[in-house]
Amino acid sequence: MTGHRGQQRAERRGQQRAERRGQRRQEPNRRVTDGLAVRNVSHGFDDTDVIEDVSLAVERGETVAIIGPSGTGKTTLLRLLSCFHRPDAGTVETDGADVWALSERDRLDVRRRIGMVFQEANLFETTVRRNVSYGQHVRRSWRDRLAQWFSRLRGGDASEAVAESLDLVGLADAGSRPVGSLSGGEAQRVSFARAIAYDPEFLLLDEPTSDLDPRNTAVIEDAIDTARTRGLGVAVATHDMNQAERVADRVAVLLGGRLIEVGPAERVFTNPEDPRARKFIEGELVY
Amino acid sequence: MIEQASPVVAAADGALPLFVELPFKWNYVESIIYVSLYVSLTAVLVSTLVSLPIAMLVGFSEFPGKGFLVALINTGMGFPSVVVGLIVLFAVSNQGPFGSLDLLFTTEAMILSQIVLAAPVITGVSLAAVTGVEDGVRDAAYAMGGTRLDVALVTIKEARYGIVTGILAGLGRAISEVGSVLIVGGNIARADGTSVTRTLTTAIQLEARQGRFELAMILGAVLVALVLLINGLVLRLGGSRI
Repeated sequence: MTGHRGQQRAERRGQQRAERRGQRRQEPNRRVTDGLAVRNVSHGFDDTDVIEDVSLAVERGETVAIIGPSGTGKTTLLRLLSCFHRPDAGTVETDGADVWALSERDRLDVRRRIGMVFQEANLFETTVRRNVSYGQHVRRSWRDRLAQWFSRLRGGDASEAVAESLDLVGLADAGSRPVGSLSGGEAQRVSFARAIAYDPEFLLLDEPTSDLDPRNTAVIEDAIDTARTRGLGVAVATHDMNQAERVADRVAVLLGGRLIEVGPAERVFTNPEDPRARKFIEGELVY
Repeated sequence: MIEQASPVVAAADGALPLFVELPFKWNYVESIIYVSLYVSLTAVLVSTLVSLPIAMLVGFSEFPGKGFLVALINTGMGFPSVVVGLIVLFAVSNQGPFGSLDLLFTTEAMILSQIVLAAPVITGVSLAAVTGVEDGVRDAAYAMGGTRLDVALVTIKEARYGIVTGILAGLGRAISEVGSVLIVGGNIARADGTSVTRTLTTAIQLEARQGRFELAMILGAVLVALVLLINGLVLRLGGSRI
């Protein structure tokens, strides 16, 4: 009797799931997730589509690794998520709201909830501290910026968040160093500290360790883990499968501009559904 | 044993002249330096205020005819100063569009001609500096939540050494220029010999033509020293790496 009721409940749940799936297909403006997401997004440059019909969500407190060979559209996907480009088709959403339907002011607020680390460190030619505090600087009113400028003239240039971010990447004592004196690994760590110093909700990392030695890579990976445990939604684009396995909760495999597989990291790495994803993960040439 | 007298004792004894007689009156040179600096620094200041926004606008935006405008700016960098002098002369002469302002043979007319000469140099070099800032730096400022103005300010800051170089190049062009200031300024001095529109360059030209080569050389040395001093000051203040 109890077994029969359980079976009925399971069938009902299955039916509800199927209905929900049907509704998703019918409702183009349906809210995908309580996070940062792209839905059915296509985008290209010079009449060539770089990514086609991609849907992916990054929720708070998880790390999603976007893996795929070079030139497959990982950077473009991250740049769409961080509102650099308006997609040719589809939507970019935060907590269900289409960011490109918002006013410029509201979109700025959305952008300010996202941190991004690029493949190159892209540091400003000043001190480490000034780089890391830039995110906070642009969030101040012009009046506060002026006050901050006077405060700096008097020697007061300390910020707890900046110190904490530098500490997270093992550069607690590097605040006063000019960026020209940093090694490549240190510069990338500063770039990471800079992206989290203003307390974003999402962190997008574009091949953050591609040019780094194992020690610097380990520091960045530990920082990614810390960011996730603090509740940030993290997306890491990487072609380093081992790194994706180490840091990711979920993995999205991007090939030829299309998302061919998305799922829990353990499942995707042990038993990928798509044969091309399997080949890529096994190290075979798939492009 | 023969004792050698010190130079001071020798001068007191009349063996050496106590003061060297200079081949010019100091107030003459002083007034020329003043006019030169006033005209050139004012022209460079105005040129910078005009040129920097133009460089930013051209550098950051795409519009039809941009290539032509950049070519025009680059051409302006090498524009012959005598031709500029002629154009400004026509503009400020009685029959010209600014004739009613009565600017001919004044320092203001000289400033005007130097603006025309310095502005393309400052614009051109600043434009190259601004467009030379890596896209990645601008992307980083944008990604961290910068507005368009924040991104522009970061770009100016990153291009600061190039911009300072442009301003110095403009100052060099202005202060060492002789053709146009001679035409629109007239190289005028008062009856007491002090300068009205005479600059270091026009004075050097005049003194050399009249055979007072020592004075021409001294004025030339003053001009070079001034340019060096201004360069040194600007680079020092800018914490230069140039």
